[in-house]
Amino acid sequence: MAKATLISSTRAEWIKFRSLRSSVTGALVTLLLTIGISTLVALAVRSHWSHVQHRETFDPASISLVGVFFAQFAFGVIGTLFITGEYSSGSIRTSLAAVPNRVRLIVSKVIVLTVSGFIIGELAAFAAFFVTMSIFKGKVPTVSLSSGPVFKAVVLAGLYLTLLAIIGFALGVLLRQSAICISVFVSLLLIVPIITNFLPSSWQADITRFEPSELGSAMMNTQPQVNHFSAYGSAFVLLLYVVALVGAGTALFVRRDA
Amino acid sequence: MIKIDHLTKRYDDTTAIDDLSFEVKPGVVTGFLGPNGSGKSTTMRIILGLDRATKGSATINGKTYHDLQVPLCEVGALLDAKAVHPGRSARNHLLALATSNGISKKRVDEVLEFAGIASVAHKKVGGFSLGMSQRLGIAAALLGDPEVLLFDEPVNGLDPEGIKWIREFFRSLAKEGRTVFVSSHLMSEMAVSADQIIVIGRGKFITQGSVDELTKTVRGSVLVRGSDMTQLEAAIVAGNGTVTEINDAGLTVDHLSAEQVGELAFRAGITLYELTPQRASLEEVFMDLTADSVEYGAREHHG
Repeated sequence: MAKATLISSTRAEWIKFRSLRSSVTGALVTLLLTIGISTLVALAVRSHWSHVQHRETFDPASISLVGVFFAQFAFGVIGTLFITGEYSSGSIRTSLAAVPNRVRLIVSKVIVLTVSGFIIGELAAFAAFFVTMSIFKGKVPTVSLSSGPVFKAVVLAGLYLTLLAIIGFALGVLLRQSAICISVFVSLLLIVPIITNFLPSSWQADITRFEPSELGSAMMNTQPQVNHFSAYGSAFVLLLYVVALVGAGTALFVRRDA
Repeated sequence: MIKIDHLTKRYDDTTAIDDLSFEVKPGVVTGFLGPNGSGKSTTMRIILGLDRATKGSATINGKTYHDLQVPLCEVGALLDAKAVHPGRSARNHLLALATSNGISKKRVDEVLEFAGIASVAHKKVGGFSLGMSQRLGIAAALLGDPEVLLFDEPVNGLDPEGIKWIREFFRSLAKEGRTVFVSSHLMSEMAVSADQIIVIGRGKFITQGSVDELTKTVRGSVLVRGSDMTQLEAAIVAGNGTVTEINDAGLTVDHLSAEQVGELAFRAGITLYELTPQRASLEEVFMDLTADSVEYGAREHHG
């Protein structure tokens, strides 16, 4: 007997997600960028290790995760296209005719994005960590996952990517157009930090810690950073952004004509 | 059954639908006719809960679309055939829709087969012709074997064979007792494919009836040809008729029946060669009915 529930709509969204080239390519690019950039940086650090200063604050774990800052854009695009693709093709109407409960449609999409994003994100983060440590081994100090803060940094790197994918998605729900969403997403991550740089330094200290990219950097460090939230605190602030954006998007989505 | 009850849809400064009321009954093909921009698609979107009504309601078997438990099993709709993500295969598109309503995979293959697109099921929709997209849209509408079906301009882009196929398909759906609601801006199409026709213009209800009933609402003219055309014309004008056209075929007369024209000719002693009542075509009826309500009519160019 046919039934329309949250489970069936979530399964449907999974079919949609996996049957889109943007999702598959986005996932591959994320893995490639995270692991690739981390590998390049690790090789560079290894060959220049004799010149590296401030060795006492050297954080092998966060170096291993540097590729995440490149992959985050691919992840945001995955999230954005998951909804803007439906607007640009007009298939959002077909989706809503099948699932008229709009909150359910959004929840289904967020579930699919969160689960698949978390799996890909963690896969990328752990792979980058292991590759970097194997490059460092014998020449540069290494750390192991058995250390609490290290494990935390790697896991939070995957979570950071996941949350950014959902931010990309929420922007997509709000703004509906791929190009605009991606510009806003990139601005949030790259342009906002440049602007805050021009603010009086006393303000900077208070504002910088709220920037998504700074939250990410705090999440991926084994040591607490000056003028930043703690790793978990940063994850929590980022989660608040996600909740606020998804909430605003959903509120608009429910009211708007499709 | 679909019931539209005092439906009004207003955008910022325009009224797309203006206090529209009608019913679409099961068992027949109901045509939804109006010029472009008359509010047909908006009405259909409101029925499907995609757009919100400003006032009034649209219900399906007494329920709004949002209250349907398993929507695809109660209502099937084809709004815009090209509104499918171009990067997805036809089968995956249908599979996602079916899954969202708990419909089996077997049914997906059935509708693909029925619509005649099983051979391209694994091809990306982006490469489909409009005709193939229409068939995919029809397959999607049939997924849940619904009792109520809505089609917005379904013959657009179909080849003659496809048009014939879709007409017969609508008839067979109606024969099974389903509610079939088909919009078009082409009167000629509706004349052959619909049993009942609802005419709207500028978002307002104009008339409703069978093709026969609609053509009767507009009085036809009479074509007459006789031995002395000048005398004939004089006799007709004297008998309160209006001659609207004179050519080799004869005189076209309004406001008089064929019988009246025959009597007048007889009394004037004119031999008639031809006397033909001209029934208004459905197309003319439509033009007549919607003349005042064409949103984007061709206007004279100034300056």
